[in-house]
Amino acid sequence: MGYRFDWNPIWHHRDQVLSGLAITIALSIVGLLGALAIGMAVGTAGAARARPLRVFAVLYVEGVRNVPLLLHIYLWFLGFSAIQLPAFLCAALGLSIYSGAYAAELFRTGLTGVPAQQSEAAAALGLRRWTILRKVIYPQAFRAIAPSLASLSSQLVKDSSLASVVAVGELAYEAGAIDADTFRTFEVYATITVLYLLLVTISSHLILRLVPTVGERSHG
Amino acid sequence: MGDLLVRNAPFLLAGLRATLALAGWTALFGTILAMPVALLRYLDVPVLGRACAAYIWFIRGTPLLVVLLLCYFALPALFGYHTTASAAALVGFVVFLAAYAAQDMLTGLHSVPRTLLEGGAALGLTRLQVIRLIVVPLGARIAVPALFGQYVRMFKYTSVASALGATELTGSVLLVNGRVFQPLPLLGIAAVVYLVVCLSISMLGRWAQVRLVPGVVGLSPKG
Repeated sequence: MGYRFDWNPIWHHRDQVLSGLAITIALSIVGLLGALAIGMAVGTAGAARARPLRVFAVLYVEGVRNVPLLLHIYLWFLGFSAIQLPAFLCAALGLSIYSGAYAAELFRTGLTGVPAQQSEAAAALGLRRWTILRKVIYPQAFRAIAPSLASLSSQLVKDSSLASVVAVGELAYEAGAIDADTFRTFEVYATITVLYLLLVTISSHLILRLVPTVGERSHG
Repeated sequence: MGDLLVRNAPFLLAGLRATLALAGWTALFGTILAMPVALLRYLDVPVLGRACAAYIWFIRGTPLLVVLLLCYFALPALFGYHTTASAAALVGFVVFLAAYAAQDMLTGLHSVPRTLLEGGAALGLTRLQVIRLIVVPLGARIAVPALFGQYVRMFKYTSVASALGATELTGSVLLVNGRVFQPLPLLGIAAVVYLVVCLSISMLGRWAQVRLVPGVVGLSPKG
């Protein structure tokens, strides 16, 4: 193995690494918020009593999650290139819509898992339908799916690397750029691998800590 | 759009064939590689079990694209060898799938009830016989649905090989689009193809589950 390690060029490009890291984090947060919003809406439709709502939810989930994320991103970037969305937004839309299908399945399972007596008891107490959902059903569903949401979010952090194909300057993209500048191929990719491992570990821990508190606060 | 399809059909079909081959070999080799990894973990073999745990942790914390970049750029630079985009993609996919598949197999092995192991031991079977005759056959069947989930995911993920410049389905679509610039019909066709194949793999998985997973009392996929 005649490779001579030289980490100095990576240190010289630390600004590029950090900005890549920042964009990866930003993209993950935006993507996760979008996915949660879509997941809650579609998941609620999937757990609803009305048949058209459930059919819509099934069509969304099956139609979206059986198409590769890469195609979702290209669809916004190339397919709708006439409207010239910024690359970051294309990637965020692709991530949200794609992960939203997975989130919808989680929410649907969580919502159908809450016993019917809970809403009946709340209705007997005179709460309105919307209040029942918000104060009684959602908090319990949220807490039930917290571990799955944590793995969904770490999956999303990893998937955000695909934004590099449309030249969003996140970690994987910056790694390619630094590699082209310095030819320290191994060092660059080793660096971003460690950063991704850190991000994935931290993000799933954060979600696990955050989600139960969301539930408990709505109880108060 | 008809004209576009007719003229580029051979090229796109070659891309689809490449995708199917890539996914097929990945599923085969990935599953084979996952078996010893899951077993070494399950038996908690000194050093090797730990190494397998580290491997699973590493892959599950790293994006697929980064695994591919490591296989295509970083490792060849480190060890001084040459590789092609599709070879590097295949190696990356296999190493990637095997970690997830091993984790699913491990879950399957762990969900075989303890009472069955104790029963086997009470019958006078050795530890290895219990593993070979009871834990592996039952655990493998419990893992089948999860494994097919991984195959579906992997099939979609083969599209990432296009980022290395491989001309599988997505790569071919991008190339054709670069020439004719008709992104919507081209991406639409690719999306439909992925959708149909993914749904077929899922159906195959459900069929396999019904055939292979008998209703053994006390056995459930979630364990």
